[in-house]
Amino acid sequence: MNTVIQKEQEYRTKRGKALLGHTVNTSLKYKLWIAFLLLVIFIGGYAYYRQLKFGLVVTAMRDYTSWGIYISNFVFFVAISLVGSLISSILKLNKNDWSRPLTRVSEIIAVAAIICAAVIIIVDMGRPDRFFYVIMHLRIQSPIIWDVIIISTYLVISLLLLYLSLLPDIALCRDRLTAIPKWKKWLYRIMSINWSNHPKQIETHHKITKLLAISVLPVAFAIHTVTSWLFATTWRPGWDSTNLGPYFVSGAFMAGAAVIIVAMYLIRIHLKLKKYITELHFEKMGRLLVLLSLVYLYFNINEYLGPAFKMVGVEGEHITELFTGKYAPMYWFVQLGGLILPIVFLIFKPFRKPLPIFIISIFVVLGAWFKRFLIVIPSLQHPYLPIQDVDESYLHYVPTWEEWAITMSSFAWFLLIITVLIKLFPVIPVLKEKIDSETINKLNVFKNEKS
Amino acid sequence: MRNHNYLNIDVLKLLILISLVAFNSSILYGQDEEVMEDAILSISFSEDNDTKIITTKAVDQSGMPIEDLELYYFVKRTFSLLPIGDSFNSTDENGIIKVEFPIDLPGDTIGNVNIVVKLIESDIYNDQTLEITKNWGIPTVIEDQETEKRSLWAAAANAPISLIVIVSSMIIAIWYIIFYIIFKLYKISKIKPLIN
Repeated sequence: MNTVIQKEQEYRTKRGKALLGHTVNTSLKYKLWIAFLLLVIFIGGYAYYRQLKFGLVVTAMRDYTSWGIYISNFVFFVAISLVGSLISSILKLNKNDWSRPLTRVSEIIAVAAIICAAVIIIVDMGRPDRFFYVIMHLRIQSPIIWDVIIISTYLVISLLLLYLSLLPDIALCRDRLTAIPKWKKWLYRIMSINWSNHPKQIETHHKITKLLAISVLPVAFAIHTVTSWLFATTWRPGWDSTNLGPYFVSGAFMAGAAVIIVAMYLIRIHLKLKKYITELHFEKMGRLLVLLSLVYLYFNINEYLGPAFKMVGVEGEHITELFTGKYAPMYWFVQLGGLILPIVFLIFKPFRKPLPIFIISIFVVLGAWFKRFLIVIPSLQHPYLPIQDVDESYLHYVPTWEEWAITMSSFAWFLLIITVLIKLFPVIPVLKEKIDSETINKLNVFKNEKS
Repeated sequence: MRNHNYLNIDVLKLLILISLVAFNSSILYGQDEEVMEDAILSISFSEDNDTKIITTKAVDQSGMPIEDLELYYFVKRTFSLLPIGDSFNSTDENGIIKVEFPIDLPGDTIGNVNIVVKLIESDIYNDQTLEITKNWGIPTVIEDQETEKRSLWAAAANAPISLIVIVSSMIIAIWYIIFYIIFKLYKISKIKPLIN
């Protein structure tokens, strides 16, 4: 069946075949993967149903730890979403042409992450039906409102960023994939908005892509800085710091780069794209990850050295708990396994080969998730003004199965969105060159394309 | 030989059973028969220098003072009832309780507070709740929104101008670009393909 479909498509080039092939072939492995993700989502859905029915009491969040793993997960996803701007904006504007094949996947990851981040905020609400009260009774003085505004803005920008880079390829899918289901043809036709490689279209496209690449940068910085302000404007040990904005942003870039490497490795293997995602990409991303990790390490030192040197009051208790207390194993895993060791290993070239860097990146991603846990939860357990007469159990926080199930299902959603987008659209830009009028004329690649 | 065993064992059992049933039903019947009545509570207020006293007199339907009747005193707040007085307030032999009202409780704009007196879970008297509005609170001054100083902690309408300007201009700038790009995409869709 697959071979028949393959033959009927008009791939035109080997590159076209390699990069469009995965959008028409559906393997058993793919179906099993989707089924697994749906199962995790279903379990998370049941846990959320219980949370809606019985209220937030099914979680372990109480008077002390009122932000649990939902919020640490939210911060993690916001961090991951910054990767779109890292590759599509920073690397692109600096003319790092090697990063072109990674643009699409970074934009897809950014879209999936920011959608999940936005939804988790609603999951964290005891009364999600009252979400619109936040908009209706808007108080511009509240950092939470700033966050709501910036997240919705970044969501739209991420979608636009992905869409703009996809547009010529969607038209290509429309023209070249002829033996596909009707709904897919319809989807490509609608989404390609009459793209016909007209020089005027290419010129406008080029112009707005550049404009968006510039605009996304301050928004990306703002989204994670504002998220850090949710903490920095709350008077708690560990959050009461002027360092928090850059600390969050640098951590986000590091985590995002690691996620890209993980995605690159998996896509390369499963979509058989070794020719397009080469060892050079891993080598370059490895160097970039070292640079970003060093910046993050610098902010980490800033974040902990001051309070650890002074060890004043509750701030001291908080630091002690992280360094030698009940959170010490997690803290040292995050700092050593997720930050220092990756830097040390990645300095050496053999570790920047695909498999070693993939494993190292998994550690960086895990470290990034647990780091958000350490930023949110221990701080909440050491308020400057202790709450009177609370149950002793309120002083501890161990997430319930419902919280874990919902968090796992957020990851499943994240992976499902990425999987579906990769299934629908080419994950690497089909055109080798940058799209501008000159190249199009020179290569004449679109000549005789049906419109 | 005369048989004196008039009450053989079965009859005895039956009699015991009957008497038990009768005894039990007399208890039950007795309980049913005991009608709960309404206590008559009369409340008066007195002020003396700095103290404010709520005096309650409890009498039964025949006008006799009720002794040792427990009453609960509260002041209605926004979300719940604030208990006042001692933990247990019982009437004396004259059926009277005196409870001191705190002098520092905020009232509404004219100082009105709602005092709630409850008679609950008495064995003899029905539950009842009395609510009286009294001008004993400290008047709450609601700041005029028009004159409230603009600040981070003010109401939404009184946010600092600088904050409104900065946030709005950033939102307008970025959304202007977004709409501009969407508009340009619309323009792209309207360009007709070249015919080769």
